[in-house]
Amino acid sequence: MTLLDSRTAPPAAPESPKPPARGAAVLRDLGLGVRFAAAGGREGWIRTLLTAVGVGLGVALLLLASSVPHLLDERNAREQARSETQISDSPDTNAPKSDSSVLRINTTTEYHDRTVAGYLMRPDGSTPVLPPGVTGFPGADEMVVSPALRQLLAEPGNELLRERLPYGITGTIGDAGLRSPGELLYYAGSDTLTPAKGGHRIDGYGDSREGDPLPPLLIVLTVLVCVVLLVPVAIFIATAVRFGGDRRDRRLAALRLVGADIRTTRRIAAGEAMFGALLGLLIGLVFFLVGRLFVGSVEIWDVSAFPADLVPDPRLALLIVVAVPLTAVLVTLVAMRSVVIEPLGVVRRGRERGRRLWWRLLMPLAGLAVFGFTGRISAYEYAPEKPFGIAAGTVLVLVGLALLLPWLVEACVNRLRGGPVPWQLATRRLQLSSGAASRAVSGVTVAVAGAIALQMMFAAMNADFNRMTGQDPTRAQFAGYSEDVTGEAATSAIERFRATKGVDVVIGSVEAYASKPGDYADEDVQPTTSLTVGTCATLRELARIDACEDGDTFVVHPPGDKDMTAWVDETARKGKVVEIGSGGKPMRWTLPADSPTVQGRKDPMGETHYGIMATTGAVDAGKLPGATISVQIRVDRSVPDVAEYVRNTAAKVDPGMRFVTLDSVERDRQYASIQTGLQVGATAVLLLIAASMLVSQLEQLRERRRLLSVLVAFGTRRSTLGWSVLWQTAVPVVLGLAVAVAGGLGLGAALAWLIEKQVADWWLFWPMVGAGGALIALVTLLSLPPLWRLMRPEGLRTE
Amino acid sequence: MIPEGSLLAAHDLRKTYGSTPALDGASFSVHPGEVVAVMGPSGSGKSTLLHCLAGIITPDSGTITYAGRELSAMSDAERSALRRSDFGFVFQFGQLVPELTCVENVALPLRLNGVKRKAAERTALEWMERLEVDDLGPQRPGEVSGGQGQRVAVARALAASPKVIFADEPTGALDSLNGERVMELLTEAARSANVAVVLVTHEARVAAYSDRDVTVRDGRARDLEHAV
Repeated sequence: MTLLDSRTAPPAAPESPKPPARGAAVLRDLGLGVRFAAAGGREGWIRTLLTAVGVGLGVALLLLASSVPHLLDERNAREQARSETQISDSPDTNAPKSDSSVLRINTTTEYHDRTVAGYLMRPDGSTPVLPPGVTGFPGADEMVVSPALRQLLAEPGNELLRERLPYGITGTIGDAGLRSPGELLYYAGSDTLTPAKGGHRIDGYGDSREGDPLPPLLIVLTVLVCVVLLVPVAIFIATAVRFGGDRRDRRLAALRLVGADIRTTRRIAAGEAMFGALLGLLIGLVFFLVGRLFVGSVEIWDVSAFPADLVPDPRLALLIVVAVPLTAVLVTLVAMRSVVIEPLGVVRRGRERGRRLWWRLLMPLAGLAVFGFTGRISAYEYAPEKPFGIAAGTVLVLVGLALLLPWLVEACVNRLRGGPVPWQLATRRLQLSSGAASRAVSGVTVAVAGAIALQMMFAAMNADFNRMTGQDPTRAQFAGYSEDVTGEAATSAIERFRATKGVDVVIGSVEAYASKPGDYADEDVQPTTSLTVGTCATLRELARIDACEDGDTFVVHPPGDKDMTAWVDETARKGKVVEIGSGGKPMRWTLPADSPTVQGRKDPMGETHYGIMATTGAVDAGKLPGATISVQIRVDRSVPDVAEYVRNTAAKVDPGMRFVTLDSVERDRQYASIQTGLQVGATAVLLLIAASMLVSQLEQLRERRRLLSVLVAFGTRRSTLGWSVLWQTAVPVVLGLAVAVAGGLGLGAALAWLIEKQVADWWLFWPMVGAGGALIALVTLLSLPPLWRLMRPEGLRTE
Repeated sequence: MIPEGSLLAAHDLRKTYGSTPALDGASFSVHPGEVVAVMGPSGSGKSTLLHCLAGIITPDSGTITYAGRELSAMSDAERSALRRSDFGFVFQFGQLVPELTCVENVALPLRLNGVKRKAAERTALEWMERLEVDDLGPQRPGEVSGGQGQRVAVARALAASPKVIFADEPTGALDSLNGERVMELLTEAARSANVAVVLVTHEARVAAYSDRDVTVRDGRARDLEHAV
């Protein structure tokens, strides 16, 4: 046997591994995509992180939105828990006096446009009921306060509020007793409050009655606010998962070179997108949880929330967890349809063909068809399904607008020619990739269109939810009313208002009942009218009086009311005696025979005065029994804090005084809170969109790092590139806003028709256009520092 | 210290990136209409020398004089203006603005200098004709071959009638046939217009088109003919 003989046969060539089964191949490709996303080096990580942060921001907003139902439920529950237990259908009914009953009066006030809710309370016995969140009943001249009010009182510059609430703080109201962490609330103790001074007796807290259901129109508004705010978030998420798509396509082309087929590349891309989305979900959860920690200390337009109230609805949360990765995969696969990934590079197709309009019109038309099918809804109709039909139609129209935008942007930018260098650079860039630009602004378009439509709805519904009060704030800005005070106290109170800093005019009168003397059977009504005592200046504000001197008296008829005129004349008989005051011993007084008869006029509160009017020289107001005091105050607005000075005087005169700011329009509270919700949400959405645009812009700039350096090398000015970035942002945003304005006005008109209203104002879109302009400026400004950095010559280095 | 008649001269340039020295006492000069090849291995500092000469980056020390003016004494804006008016650039890749057409790319330096669009594009087309790429005018860089793109870049470098063209590995991404054609066109056009060319390359074949070679090694430039 030779050595050669001893050689063993060469080993057989290794067998090619069998291709995996289809299911295993799918998993392998998805896993490969996940690996690319997770371990693609620095560039890969940056891309994945950008996507994840983008998706995370959207997810955090969605989680926030899904927490709103729980938040509102909790707030309502706490509000009901601190409402007094009603013992009858009439809210004025006093509870019987007992060891646990409490007399209380609402002393809510306003301070620097914020409501400071408060009650003055006096226990009837030794075990008074306590409001939720309060552990001990405050003694006389003591109070327990909410943490926000405690902080406000402690801050410098709030001396006027401390002066108004001159009680010693003995405790803090716990969360269980507050609507929100920012609420300003106090409960003060008193030992002088009586039913005669307006005290109302209660014997427990907790109102189990159901609140008023939202009227149908407000349901429509609420659903629309949700739709308008959430559709841009969904669009934003769909945009975020496409961050860095160009780079990914190039990587997939390299995979094609080593034998991956098109299906494989799609699955790998899906895996990458899924990983980014899942990471985004995680980051969104972290954003939400971290944001939740701070939510208690943030207050926007008087809205704040307890962290514990922000709990996402489980069903909605599940929907988010499932829908976000699914959306990411679907969007990626759809985006890849317009790209042919060949082994030697990426070819974008569709440019020669151009975008088609017809199918993009289908969705908004379908939305309008849904409106037609749903039919109109009136303010008084009970049709619980209709708001959702309207919402579905709105979603279709808004998403349709987002679909129309790429066509419009392409059609417009393709027509742009010439112009200075920055303009040329920007428009050419847009011509080359108008899709990316449209995607970036589609969120703005939808948000602005929706907000315009909603503003039009609000304007159209204004009449239903805004009541004309009849008040005249040009004659007086504040009004106060206290009952059952002595005439002496009333006159001194008026003088105190007159002496208050910044007060120009006080229309202050002391009022009492004036009755025709005599004996009346039980079934007879004693003729009674009112006696108003004030200065000539005051009386002129209440009646059409020409000549007036101190000592004069007048009989005042209500204009245009014959029955009431007769009733006044029945009591106010010239030269005859009237009895003044109610309860106790009345004061007898003779109405002078020469009292002229005049017509009453509306006071600044919008109320018409009539009866007997007397100057202070004719009737000694200080001696009137059972008097009430009415003041209407005109102030000098140029005096800083004048409103607070006046309110402080009111609090000193009578903490329980009903004191209001006059306004010609009064807004429905539910309606106002929906409008506030829209403002808060629109701000959040616009900021989110700004973040999205900024990320897209930065991604584009990073991709062009070398080109930017080359441009700088041959002397391009920074301003030239800065302007080109501005135009590149501005052109699509302006087009997006144009679509938004046209679409928003159209949608608003359609919605107004649906709720049987007229469009009240066609010019409501200007603030939204302004917000869009601010968005352009913000994104451009924030893009400039990275642009300057990328323009450094380091980009030219290849070694 | 500055060789007589030189248009652009550098003396004792030093530049470090972090702790890595890129230039360590390099000197260099070029005369009007002269083509000088800067050669050397990868990482020797050739590109850094070119960037310093063009005023794209400033050296840590040393002097650069262009037409009697000290570059390091100029502000960033002045150096940018100089690059717009007197210098032209050709790089290895990624230099054409992808969204502009070829003629718009060539016209870009003129437009940055304030020339009206139509006039700029007319001049651009003339240069493209000389570089044999006039038929590519309306096409975008992504639609032309590498060699054609490089010729467009050369046309752009020449369009604003510069005094010096800086070419950093201008044929590095091209095959030899295309590379030679680009070099022929570049040097012919430069010589006929009396434009100096600073040509960074590591290929002797490309350097053969130059009038003179300067070798950079370890951050030092060695000029065998003009010892400076």
